[in-house]
Amino acid sequence: MKPLYNPPETDKSKFAHPVEEAFARILDFYGLQWQYEPRTFPLQWDESGNVTEAFTPDFYLPEQDLYIELTTLRPQLSTMKNRKMRRMQELYPDIHLKLFKRREMRDLMVKFGLYDQAEKIQGTEAQEAIA
Amino acid sequence: MTENGLETYGDLATGVREILISTNEIQQRVYEIGQAISQDYTGLNPLLVGVLKGVLFFMADLLRAVRIPTEMDFIAVSSYSPESRDQGLVRMVKDLEIPISGRHVLFVEDVIDTGLTLNYILRNLRVRQPASLEVCVLFNKPEHRLVNIPLKYKGFDLPDRFVVGYGLDYREKYRNLPFVGLLKPNVFQSGPNNSV
Repeated sequence: MKPLYNPPETDKSKFAHPVEEAFARILDFYGLQWQYEPRTFPLQWDESGNVTEAFTPDFYLPEQDLYIELTTLRPQLSTMKNRKMRRMQELYPDIHLKLFKRREMRDLMVKFGLYDQAEKIQGTEAQEAIA
Repeated sequence: MTENGLETYGDLATGVREILISTNEIQQRVYEIGQAISQDYTGLNPLLVGVLKGVLFFMADLLRAVRIPTEMDFIAVSSYSPESRDQGLVRMVKDLEIPISGRHVLFVEDVIDTGLTLNYILRNLRVRQPASLEVCVLFNKPEHRLVNIPLKYKGFDLPDRFVVGYGLDYREKYRNLPFVGLLKPNVFQSGPNNSV
């Protein structure tokens, strides 16, 4: 069967976290085009107009016009990320952004048979910031 | 003990924490979808297509709820896994046996989660120029959706939890539970043998 999309070789060196690489490989497998951290959104500025806080979603799916943010942070450690997500929605309401939280990432890894990755997420006690 | 109590299923339900959607609720909704399909596709001789393996249970019950002539066929695609990822793209390992050009095709799916698999399949089927191509899903998990897929028929929206039963598996187990249940957290921590 002729492939509908020829993905580029997944370059693992570009990713900040193994889960991101796993996610990119899944997208490649199913022929979904993606870009890694293609855009940074300013969230806060100082009095001089300099950007003091910004947010860079992990992935962008151009065919879906959808940004994806992944996290393996435990809920109690993800306060800052949640605040950034809320700020994103306030400042950029037309941007479609989906957050995959820790348990969702675990479930996603299980769904695609990546049990080792899933167990690493499940067993992580310390903060593992991705972004 | 209740009619759908977990105790009824013994070892089969070991690892299941609670029932989210009962057998009766599933059967009722499947019946309703069957009635809707019968009405919408009258005179069109639709072809119901499913992707193996999880859809078997839903397809069997749905077909028996449809009251118009239909045909059915199945496809199978390679699943993503640590082993298959090195083989490149997803591929069709069992193709349809019935040509779909000019046919009214209803794609039947047990669950839609990310939509990645279904997106691949629908793109593949559209190339074959069916007269129509719609989607019927029993369990919808919109929280994880990466690809927007219009659904003509939908059974239930599932919560953002890992669930099993009625075709849905965890490591190939629990498919034959007649209800949809939530797994205990320790199932995910029990290692490669899935002992709980």
